[in-house]
Amino acid sequence: MGAWTVLQERQAMLLDPAIRDWVLLPIMLVMVLVGVVRHQVTVLLNGPPRKADLKSARETKGLQRGSILRAHGNHLPEYAFEARKAYLTEAFEKGTYLKDPKAGNKPKGNVMQDPAYVETMMDGMKKNMMNIVPQTVIMGWINFFFSGFVLIKLPFPLTIRFKSMLQRGIETQDMDVSWVSSLSWYFLNLFGLQSVFTLILGSGHAADAMRDMQAMSTMGMGPAAGPQMSPTGQPQDMHKIFLSEKENIELTEHEWGLNNVETRLLVKYGKLPRSILVDQKKAKAAATSVSGPSTSSLSSSSPAAVAAAAAAAGGKKKGRRQA
Amino acid sequence: MVNAAKVLQDLRASAERKPDVVVRLGKPLVENGAVKKLDADAWLVYEQVAIAALDVGDDALAQRCIQALEQKFPGSARVRRLHGMKLEAEGELIQAGEIYKAILQEDETNILAAKRQVMLLRAMGLPSDAISALVKYLDINYTDFEGWLQLADLYLEQLMYSQAAFCMEEVIMLQPQNHIFHLKYAEILYSQQSIGLALKQFCRVVELCKDHVRGLYGIKLCTSHLLKLSPSKDSTATSQEDLKAIDLLATERLIATYNAASSSTKSVSTKWIENL
Repeated sequence: MGAWTVLQERQAMLLDPAIRDWVLLPIMLVMVLVGVVRHQVTVLLNGPPRKADLKSARETKGLQRGSILRAHGNHLPEYAFEARKAYLTEAFEKGTYLKDPKAGNKPKGNVMQDPAYVETMMDGMKKNMMNIVPQTVIMGWINFFFSGFVLIKLPFPLTIRFKSMLQRGIETQDMDVSWVSSLSWYFLNLFGLQSVFTLILGSGHAADAMRDMQAMSTMGMGPAAGPQMSPTGQPQDMHKIFLSEKENIELTEHEWGLNNVETRLLVKYGKLPRSILVDQKKAKAAATSVSGPSTSSLSSSSPAAVAAAAAAAGGKKKGRRQA
Repeated sequence: MVNAAKVLQDLRASAERKPDVVVRLGKPLVENGAVKKLDADAWLVYEQVAIAALDVGDDALAQRCIQALEQKFPGSARVRRLHGMKLEAEGELIQAGEIYKAILQEDETNILAAKRQVMLLRAMGLPSDAISALVKYLDINYTDFEGWLQLADLYLEQLMYSQAAFCMEEVIMLQPQNHIFHLKYAEILYSQQSIGLALKQFCRVVELCKDHVRGLYGIKLCTSHLLKLSPSKDSTATSQEDLKAIDLLATERLIATYNAASSSTKSVSTKWIENL
């Protein structure tokens, strides 16, 4: 504690009030103003939202059909489930839901010739430009005029690890960590002005630096209505996605959720002991493991996985016999 | 005024349709111009009040809201749809249909206009056209469970039970937790004479919603029917002991539920149970 006060006293630096008036506050002011201007320009640039394409909407919803069947199919009676399974596997195989069913297997041409794709790319570029340009300019401005400035002292002590965060641009080892350099002040503002913008511009504003960071990492990612993109920015081959979804559906086993609903209901009203449900579950588990591994537990269809699962099931059977 | 705006906002968020409340709260807001103080929300309030006013038949209020919106957003598809709804309310169905058609020609993905078109066909008394339009709509907007519900209703009106059952299956897949949908499905199955399946669905209703009276009545109907038949050989069907137990349970719960009700209601329900 003693050493701490000594250090504090030794570093009782006095900052020129002019630094506050001409550096600290202007940086903040400029960042707020730039944020507001950026919001307005983004609104201007965005223009009317791009019209969604009916066929691509159908494509996405078609895929959802498959995943919903897989997730909630157990609520349906067996015949209803099987009918849907048969229909969807066939439709996915044929590419009924594709934007262009005939182009199914053909390799895609040059993506740059697809106007929708180019448009999404341009939108992404515009947004990124709106983000990068002003931030670069401000950072250059600060670096040029105020590099090495100490602007402010935080009113609380911090550990040494914060040094790289708070004293960027100042290469001194001994200075107390609570002093903040000009460049670090810029970064603190960049990430901290979020709620100020919400106050000025209302929620959903476009001045949000964090959102832009995300936009940068998923560059060119358009709205949901746009063509499907992989993380690398290439449009995906929807037919392949449909085929893999078809495989997933084929592997889905149907286990009707209402098989023992009467028992469950009787248990719920206390007419039967709760243990009866557990017994039923055990009996069912025994039945399925004897009849071989259920396909639903196999997410991959590689021969090795099948063999491994078969071996595991065999082991289980042996174990039961020994018991 | 702040409170009224808050209530209206909550109603918008929950998508509840309470036209009487909306008109009662929104009418003064629109008429004394206080709505303008809500900034961006004002236009949402105008739209909400306009639809509610059409619901309760306050055409003057609706006209006022729609005019305000038209001034602010000339040519907007959303406002034109409101205009179409007003024409519908006035009985000018053909003109309304033309508006929707024009909106869809500009933007074929306009869901609101597509939905209105279906309802327009239904209102015109063209159920088969409404069905085909709705089927087309659902082929694209598969996840709209309300659309599936509407289609089930349309099929039921035509007594096409198996098609209606198919729609209810879709609804259940999209909203598996809602017991009302299970109930509707169960009742359709019962009408289709699949009593065994219907029993299971009715059980599911009561499982999801304790002491659901309509579900209990359904169980009672199914069990009394099934107990009269010879035991089914199907392994998935309910066993005889379970049937008896469930039948007993339903009777017990119905009597218990009606014990709280007035004596006349109670006597009706006991008589019904005895007669079954």
